[in-house]
Amino acid sequence: MLKEKLNALLRIDRRWIFLGLTVVLFGAIMRPLGLINKEISKDTRNAYDFMEKLPAGSFVILSLDYDPSTAPELNPQAVAVARHAFRKNLRVGVVTYAAGATGLIEQLFAVVPAEFKKEYGRDYIIFPYQPSAVAALTQMASDLYGIYDKDKDGKDAKSMPVMLGVKNYKNISLVVCIAGTQMPTYWVQYAGDKYGVPVMAGVTAISQPGYGPYLQKKQLKGLLGGMKGAAEYEHLIDTPGKGTSGIDALSLAHVMVVGLIIVSNIAMVILKYL
Amino acid sequence: MSDTFLIAGAWISAGLTIFLFSFLYKDNPFFKVAEHLYLGAGMGWWAQVYLYGVLRPKVWAPLMNHDWMVLVPTFLGLSLITQFIPGISWISRYGFTFLMGYGAGLELPTKLATDFVNQIGGTIQPFVNVAGMSSFALFNAVVIAGGVICVLIYFFFSVEHKGAVKKASNVGIYFLMIYFGASFGNTVMARFSLLYGRFDTLYTFSASKYLYATQFILAGLAVYFIVHALMNRGKKEIEPAQ
Amino acid sequence: MKLIKKQIPLAIVLVFGTLTLLTYFVPHKRSVNFLETMNKWENIVAAFAFFLGLINLFYSHYTKISRKADGWGYSIFVYIGFLAIAIPAYVSHGKNMDGSVLTWMGWAFKYIYNPLSATMFAVLAFYIVSTAYKSFRIRSLQAFVLFAAAMFLILGNVPLGQMIWDKLFGWTSYAISDIVDWIMHVPAIAGKRGIMIGIAIGVVVTALKIIFGIERQYLGKD
Repeated sequence: MLKEKLNALLRIDRRWIFLGLTVVLFGAIMRPLGLINKEISKDTRNAYDFMEKLPAGSFVILSLDYDPSTAPELNPQAVAVARHAFRKNLRVGVVTYAAGATGLIEQLFAVVPAEFKKEYGRDYIIFPYQPSAVAALTQMASDLYGIYDKDKDGKDAKSMPVMLGVKNYKNISLVVCIAGTQMPTYWVQYAGDKYGVPVMAGVTAISQPGYGPYLQKKQLKGLLGGMKGAAEYEHLIDTPGKGTSGIDALSLAHVMVVGLIIVSNIAMVILKYL
Repeated sequence: MSDTFLIAGAWISAGLTIFLFSFLYKDNPFFKVAEHLYLGAGMGWWAQVYLYGVLRPKVWAPLMNHDWMVLVPTFLGLSLITQFIPGISWISRYGFTFLMGYGAGLELPTKLATDFVNQIGGTIQPFVNVAGMSSFALFNAVVIAGGVICVLIYFFFSVEHKGAVKKASNVGIYFLMIYFGASFGNTVMARFSLLYGRFDTLYTFSASKYLYATQFILAGLAVYFIVHALMNRGKKEIEPAQ
Repeated sequence: MKLIKKQIPLAIVLVFGTLTLLTYFVPHKRSVNFLETMNKWENIVAAFAFFLGLINLFYSHYTKISRKADGWGYSIFVYIGFLAIAIPAYVSHGKNMDGSVLTWMGWAFKYIYNPLSATMFAVLAFYIVSTAYKSFRIRSLQAFVLFAAAMFLILGNVPLGQMIWDKLFGWTSYAISDIVDWIMHVPAIAGKRGIMIGIAIGVVVTALKIIFGIERQYLGKD
C-alpha cells in the first residue's frame, strides 16, 4: 500500500511540479518575504574593495556581454557596478562583444548615469558592438582607437573629454567584464595576463565555479556570481535593487528543490530496502 | 513614446512570454508561433547590429573615403557566403583559412600562458611560503595540488588505469564530482533567477496601468485549452510536455 | 586548379597563423602594425560570418514553405519576426534610444526580442526542478559527493537556506557560507583546474594542427 503510494509519488505528472514552482515563485514576488542577503562572499568583497580603492578619474572599462537570456542575473550586477563606478567619480568606457547586449546597455545607461548627474562624453562613453572580441582586445593593447575610433552613434571618440589621456591598456585602471559568455576568460587571457590590466568579472551562477582557478591565481581580482553576487554588491554599495528583491523570491524556490530531492531519495530508499 | 505604445508593448511582451511558457502544459500553436518569432527576431536583431555597428562604419564609410585596403577583408568576408553556392564553394576557404590562421595564432600562446602555465603556477605558488602559512592554508594548498594531479591522471589515457594510477584517478573523480555538484547547485540558482525575471515582468504587466495584460492573456489561453480539450474529447491526446 | 582550391588556402592559414603567433613574442613596431591590420580585417570578416547563418536559416525555412512541409505555416513567422525587428531598426537608423526615450527599435527590442529570448531560457528552470525530483538519485558514494556539494550550494546561496542551516546545524559553529566558500575555493578549483589544463593542451595541439595544415576538416570536401 505504502509502496504503491510512493511509486505514484515518484511518477507524479511533472506538470504538478511546474505548477508548484510557479505558485512558490509568483507568491514570493507578490508577497516578498523581506529576507536580505547579509552574507558577503570573499570574491564579491574583493571586487568591491578593488573598485573602492581606485582614485577618482581613473578610466574603467565595463565589458557588458550578456543578452536578454541571462539579463535577470547579470543586469542587476551591471547596474550595481555602474552605480559604484559613478559614485566613485570614475570614468567609464562601455564595450560589448555580445550582439544582443546593445539594447540592454543603452537602456541601462539611459537611467543610471542620470542618478549621479553624469554626462555622456564627459563621464562615460558607449562603444559599438564588435564581432571579434579577440581582435578588439588585442588591438586595445597598442591603440584602442584602431578599432574604437567612433562611439555607438558614429561620433569621433578620441575627441571626447572622457577619453582624455586614454590610448591603450596602460591607461586603463580596471576592466569589469559582466558576461553570460566566455568573455571573462578572454579578458584574462588577452589583457590581464599579458598586459597586467586588473580584470574582475560578473558571471552567471552556472559558470561561477569555473572561474575559481583564475581567482586563486589572482588572474581575476574579484567575481560576482549570479543574482546572489548582484545582491551582495547592492548590499555593499547600500543601494538595494533587482538582485536584493530577487534573492528574496528565490529563497523559497531553492528550499523547494532541496525538499523535492530529499523526498524523492527517501522514497527511493524505502522502496528499495523496506 | 505614448502610453498606448507602452500598453501595446506590455500586451505583446506578456503574450509572447505566456505563449512560450504554455509549452509546459502541452505543445500548442501559440507556442510554435512564438518559437518561430524568436528565431526570426533574434536574426533581425543581429542583422541590424552587424549592419549599423560594423558594416556601415567599418566597410562602407572607409570605402566612401577611398580606403581600398578594406576591400581585402570584404572579399574574405564575402567569400564565406559562397559556401552555399555549389561549384564555387571552395572560394569560402579563403575566408575560413584567414579566420582559422589568425585565431589559432592568437589563441595558442595566450591559452598556453593563461590556462596551462599560470594554472600550474597557481597550484605550486602557495608552497613557496610554507613557513608563513597557517596549517589550514597548507592543508588547502595540498588538497588543491593533490586534486589537480588526480584529475589530470583521470584524464590521462596513455597509461593503463590500474594499481596506484587507478586509485589516484578514482580520487580525481571525487574532485570532479564536487566541481559538478557545485555547478549544479549554482545552475539551480541561475535558472530560477531567469524565471524570476520573467515572472517579475508578468507581475508588472498584471497591473491596471497595463490593462491587466497578464490576466487577460492567461485567461484567453486557458479558454483555448479547455475548448480544444472539449473538441478533441475521445481523440488521441497530443503528447504532453517532456 | 589544385593550387587555388587547396594550396593557396593552406598557405594562407600557415602564413597568417605563424605571423600572428610571432607577434606575441615580437614587440617590434612592425609586428604591432601587422597585428593591428589583422585585427581590423578579422573584425570585418567575422561580421560576414553572421550572414552565413542568416542565409542558411532563411533558405531552410523558404524550402519548408515552398514544399509545404509539415508545419510550414509556422515558418512564415520566422520572416515576420525578422521584419518586426528589421523594419523598426531601419526607421530608427539602428538607434535604441533617442535621449531617454525609446525609439521604435528600442521598443521592438524591449517588447519583442527581449521577452522571447529571456523566456526561452527561463523555461529551463521548470525542467531542472522536475529532473532534480525524478532523476537525482544517490546510488553511489560519487553521487553522494555530488549531491552534498550541490546541497551546500543550493542552501548557502539564499538567505532562507542560510537560516535553515543555522537552525539545524548552528551548533556546529560552521556557517554554511564558510562551507560554500571552502568548496568553491578548494576542491572545486582542483576539479576545474584539472579540466582547464586538459583543455589548454587540447587547444594548443589543435591550433598547431590548424596552422600546419594537418587539421583541415573545416575546409570541407572538394
